Amino acid sequence: MKVAVVVQRYGQAINGGAELHARYIAEHLARHGEVEVLTTCAADYVTWRNELEPGVGQVNGVPVRRFRVKHERDPRLFAERSDRVFEQPHSLGDELDWLDAEGPTSPALVDYVAKHAAEYEYCLFFSYRYYHAYYGTRAAGGRAILVPTAERDLTVGLSIFQPLFRRVRAVMYNSPEERAMIHAVSGNQNVPGVVVGIGSDVPNSPQAGRFRQKYHIRGPFAVYVGRIDQNKGCNELFEFFQGYLNDPAGKLSLVLIGHSLLPIPEHPRIRHLGFLDDTDKFDAMAAADLLIMPSYYESLSMVTLETWALGRPVLANGKCDVLKGQCIRSNAGLYYETYGEFVGALEAIEQNRWLAGTLGRSGRQFFRDHYDWPVIERKYLEMFERLKTGAAATVHPLPGWFERRRRDLPAAREVLTRLPKGPAGIRS
Amino acid sequence: MADFNVRSDSVNVEHVMEQIRARISEKRGVDYTEQQIRELAAVKLERFLDPRGVRSDLLDQFRKTQPAYEPPELPNFAFEDETLFESHRGPIRWIRKLLLPILKLFFNPNPLIQALHIQSRLNAMNAERDAKLESARRAMDQLYYELVHNLVIETTRLGIEVKNLKMRVESVSSRLEFNERRARALESVVVYKSSGADESHVQPASAPATPQPFTPPPSRSMPLQPAPSQPAPSTGAAPAIVQGQPAAGTGQGVPGEGPGQRSRRRRRRRGRRSGATAAEIMGPAGSPAPGPTAGGPARTDSTDPVDHDAEHDGAEPHGVEPRGAEPHGAEHHRTEHHEAGDAHAVAAEAAAQRADRASHPSEPPADSGPVAPTDPGPAPTADSGQGGSDPDSQ
Repeated sequence: MKVAVVVQRYGQAINGGAELHARYIAEHLARHGEVEVLTTCAADYVTWRNELEPGVGQVNGVPVRRFRVKHERDPRLFAERSDRVFEQPHSLGDELDWLDAEGPTSPALVDYVAKHAAEYEYCLFFSYRYYHAYYGTRAAGGRAILVPTAERDLTVGLSIFQPLFRRVRAVMYNSPEERAMIHAVSGNQNVPGVVVGIGSDVPNSPQAGRFRQKYHIRGPFAVYVGRIDQNKGCNELFEFFQGYLNDPAGKLSLVLIGHSLLPIPEHPRIRHLGFLDDTDKFDAMAAADLLIMPSYYESLSMVTLETWALGRPVLANGKCDVLKGQCIRSNAGLYYETYGEFVGALEAIEQNRWLAGTLGRSGRQFFRDHYDWPVIERKYLEMFERLKTGAAATVHPLPGWFERRRRDLPAAREVLTRLPKGPAGIRS
Repeated sequence: MADFNVRSDSVNVEHVMEQIRARISEKRGVDYTEQQIRELAAVKLERFLDPRGVRSDLLDQFRKTQPAYEPPELPNFAFEDETLFESHRGPIRWIRKLLLPILKLFFNPNPLIQALHIQSRLNAMNAERDAKLESARRAMDQLYYELVHNLVIETTRLGIEVKNLKMRVESVSSRLEFNERRARALESVVVYKSSGADESHVQPASAPATPQPFTPPPSRSMPLQPAPSQPAPSTGAAPAIVQGQPAAGTGQGVPGEGPGQRSRRRRRRRGRRSGATAAEIMGPAGSPAPGPTAGGPARTDSTDPVDHDAEHDGAEPHGVEPRGAEPHGAEHHRTEHHEAGDAHAVAAEAAAQRADRASHPSEPPADSGPVAPTDPGPAPTADSGQGGSDPDSQ
């Protein structure tokens, strides 16, 4: 079996969600067959600047073939085109222009896929929203398997991606919510798909005491792990947690781990430790009373799964369907949508040790049942076996010049608002 | 492949969240305490009363934003007798007039003309009245606005004034409390004022007293007098003390003095000993500094009216008094200050303290524990108390 993993960035030091996902999958599938990674020379997801050398290299024993990006992203142009396709009625050409502006525009990568797709049994494309996935799946034809890592954001409302979801050979979803959303937006129920997600190499015995000693942290605390960004809901987290700090009964501190793009509130019970390596990160999770995941948009949230793997409860943003659905399915986390719910849930976990322990145990079991690596690998291999017998979908050519300029497509926001909301199974 | 069917039996997060939501709604509806409501109200009031939030030119701004009232030009018509037959063309007007009698054969247009005429006048009158009412209402609006504006300012001012008055009340009450305490202290001093006969005995006590060996205090039942083994002080302090005691030997140092006053006085004396006080600073330069013989574990303290009272209270046994007993000089100075008034009393107290310190340079501090007596002597009675068990001795 030879599989290509096609992803926008790839590297040991690249820790973006989809990129990390791709690396883990590539490294684990490499134990079952031959895997080659096809990616760009970019390392920065904002500029897509060519920072890495093109050609073939290796990362953790997996061969990686890099291709140059044709042009960097122009933020102003990208913003203009985003506004047009997200907020206004537009044409298919506008969406293709938007995709070109978003990047990473690497025709060389797409050409390589088109020429060498036959050498691979399957091509796994990660992140539906980028240039390489849209054109690469067309080039790979019936060998293309998509790992969409889709979130409930405006991009999913764009019309160019609906045929993409329908034409791939299979879709490996991260969550039932993601699957339901893509089904609703594209009607690709006939395309084989399975909810897989991703595993994590969680250490067996993280040292909570070591973390507390190293960072001089005493007392109970909640931890947030990830980029401290407005898009991740950190503003709301700060606002809510500062309100919680006014409650004299609450004893929890907040420990923030990750690079910050926001000013951190100055309070003795809010600590920002910056970016930590995996050892310290897992130690911190093990030492924490709970993890808070305030993000509005998540397709999976590996950090949440890792926290559950360590037997700790999670308090998630209930406005994120995926997180809420995971909490409900696992019975391992509480969720909030308002300040009152935030404080109420936080206090429930803080003050009810039985509840916190039970949530943590449920989370550990949930992780073992669904996100342990053998489970993930088995799901991929079973899908490969399943696809051997099925027929590939037809790839239609791109619309003509006139059709691409017909301004009859609705704004992406309009499409998004029509999609069902809520966790899978209890959707509205 | 079955996806995600884990349902832990032990906990249901949806149920937990329902409970949390129910608690929130319950708290919002009912569970606000009176204090929470007051706090909320106070926050709003404070914000409203913030003087920085009140614009002094609010009325001007309001007038500027409020355009001057101009009554709208409502559509109306003029209807007179000839209106129905008017025309800008002369011949037509002539023909209409000519045919008017014929027209009146069909119907009478006069009531119609009158009704329309009245209606026209009514329209004009109504428009005029509306304009007057509207202008009056706008004028009243301005007055109301001005009134509310002034009320806000006045309320703000009153709020600030109330705060100031609260602070003043607190200040006055604290001063009152201080004065009351001072008055009580002075009253107790006045109560101790000795008779003239005491003065003659007290006066020689200002002479330096020699140190006395330890003698256990007499029991409460014994009449207070110098112990036989105790040599009489050369300065005649003991007689003075003996005369100062009540004849019945009941332990009442001064007639009319209550136990509370005694303990207060004792605490005050200890407080003065513990460090430099205002009395020390204010001590008169002419007050006699007691000699080194005035200190030491004076046995005569057992006959001191004050300390004797203390003994009977079970408060300060002599043998274990950690700070050492007061010298004779100090006692006589105290007696003097009963006579000389408050200022002199304070000065004498300070002098006594100086004498105390001068005569006991190596005296252990008050909290250093009991001092072992050099001469055990007779065992103290139960009533005299044991230093180690008396909290006041620490």
